[in-house]
Amino acid sequence: MPTANTAIKTAIVARDREPMLSPAGPVLSALAGGGGNAKATTTPASTTAAFTTAPPRVTSTDLSRFKQSLEIFLTENAITLLSVLSLVGLWYLAATVLPPSIMPAPHVVADILWTQMQTEQIWSDVSITGGRIAAAFSIAMVVSLIVGFAMGISKVAERFLDVWVVCLLTMPSLVMILTIYMIVGLNDRAAVIGAAVPVIPILTINIWQGVKGVDYKLIDMAKAYHATRGQIIRSIIAPQIAPIMVASARFGLGLAWKMVLFVELLGRSDGIGYRIEFYYQMFNMGAVLAHALLFLFIMLFIEVVLLGMLERRLFRWRPTQRRL
Amino acid sequence: MAVTSLNLTNVTKVFPRKGRSAEWRAVENATFSTRPGEFVCILGPSGCGKSTLLNILSGLDEQYEGEASIFGKPVSQQVESGVRVAYIFQEPRLMPWRTVRSNIEFALKTSGFVQSEWAGRIDRVLSLVELSKFADFYPLQLSGGMQQRAAIARAFSIEPEVLLMDEPFSALDELTARRLRQQLLMIWGEFRSTVLFVTHNAFEATFLSDRILMMTRGPAARFCDEVDLSDLQRPRSYEDVRIFETSRNVVQRLIGHIGNLDER
Repeated sequence: MPTANTAIKTAIVARDREPMLSPAGPVLSALAGGGGNAKATTTPASTTAAFTTAPPRVTSTDLSRFKQSLEIFLTENAITLLSVLSLVGLWYLAATVLPPSIMPAPHVVADILWTQMQTEQIWSDVSITGGRIAAAFSIAMVVSLIVGFAMGISKVAERFLDVWVVCLLTMPSLVMILTIYMIVGLNDRAAVIGAAVPVIPILTINIWQGVKGVDYKLIDMAKAYHATRGQIIRSIIAPQIAPIMVASARFGLGLAWKMVLFVELLGRSDGIGYRIEFYYQMFNMGAVLAHALLFLFIMLFIEVVLLGMLERRLFRWRPTQRRL
Repeated sequence: MAVTSLNLTNVTKVFPRKGRSAEWRAVENATFSTRPGEFVCILGPSGCGKSTLLNILSGLDEQYEGEASIFGKPVSQQVESGVRVAYIFQEPRLMPWRTVRSNIEFALKTSGFVQSEWAGRIDRVLSLVELSKFADFYPLQLSGGMQQRAAIARAFSIEPEVLLMDEPFSALDELTARRLRQQLLMIWGEFRSTVLFVTHNAFEATFLSDRILMMTRGPAARFCDEVDLSDLQRPRSYEDVRIFETSRNVVQRLIGHIGNLDER
């Protein structure tokens, strides 16, 4: 695979350099013999000649640029693409086995989603649920950070809070949510708190263990070089905590989204969770799956694009080729 | 009295009882001093409290009895007195999220060097440890030996008056360790810091130092013997037969002391 990959890339380099010559030639030669390198290095002279005699036609080069980037994209993301296709295929398989009222096929669901997206209702549901997720996630993150840090740093806090965390962790989230609805009332505040509380113990454990795992040898090193307390926190501790924070954020966001749906299903009359429950009662599985699908796309965007980018930026220093 | 660079007087270190484990008297009545620019090795078996002494001198460990001073000032007043002390650990202890250059910058910053001096100092020490090409590499992209060389560069970047080294080459293969020992002596020749080098390797101690201080095995480890090596000429070479003979001698003396302890 990698040789074919580089062959295509060199071919593309070669093609960039000689836009007026036959577009398929270098690609074929590169793919056939892998000798694209030699060709690419010999071309610059002819390229400048071509440019001076006739300027390139814009439309055709734009089209070939697009084709080139598509080629690169396909070769670099082949596995991901295959994974997505197999997932959709599996869905189709299930749709053929099960009756359409239970498991509608992907294109049917996509169609339902498309018509739903023309209405205003689904967008108001999305914004309501999105707001609740943001609120619940923020609360859970802040509380978990404080508690997790306290447990990671102080032995007393660890002893004391350990029991709390374990109890909260074992208590079913259903019971927690119902209790909070009873105490706070059937309102939005209760919904947000109810979605946040079940996330807290899980995130807390994450952060607690992460803080405990801070490398004390590096702290000693910094002390031996007379670093101040502030310098140690900024330069030694914070960079070690950052990966845990990002991982916890990704994890917490996914959890908060599930909890919000649950809370909406139990005690709200708006939001995606309520709508899913509503369509379920109507035995409209197509609409249920369509709503789930829409949120899947939104969460995927936040998760992969935003947090993934942040992670790559923060952790450039990690060796990328570490595989078992 | 001549100026001493490092001085310990009757230092005793007791690790307090923790849980079910009894208290541990690591070091008892340790006394020694070094001259400025002297290369001294502390030689002793594993677990005899050698590292404990370094931790006391570096200020990392403040719970001990007795007196520890650097250039006449107690260790606790060291930061104010402006004496620069560098520490090279058994592991490189580089920050993996910073490049080699940036790791050295950290030490320069904490030691109070002005930023305009950083680049020059870093270039100099990196060329001394032959890592100039790797200044912008991350530690995890380097081999263990190269990482330890980066740690050595970091230590010398602050031009330390005192350099503490805790078995820095014990985790490396012998050939790499040999090269690093020679490099260390070469760099030390340029800087003439006082070096206190802890090791359990008698040959290493003989090859490197002006003077070897031997310690007995713990508990209550103490200094039991001293070997003066000033008659071994520098620069030293691994081919020198006299170094081998002297190191055999040192081993014999060490076995003599520890053997006595076992019979007790």
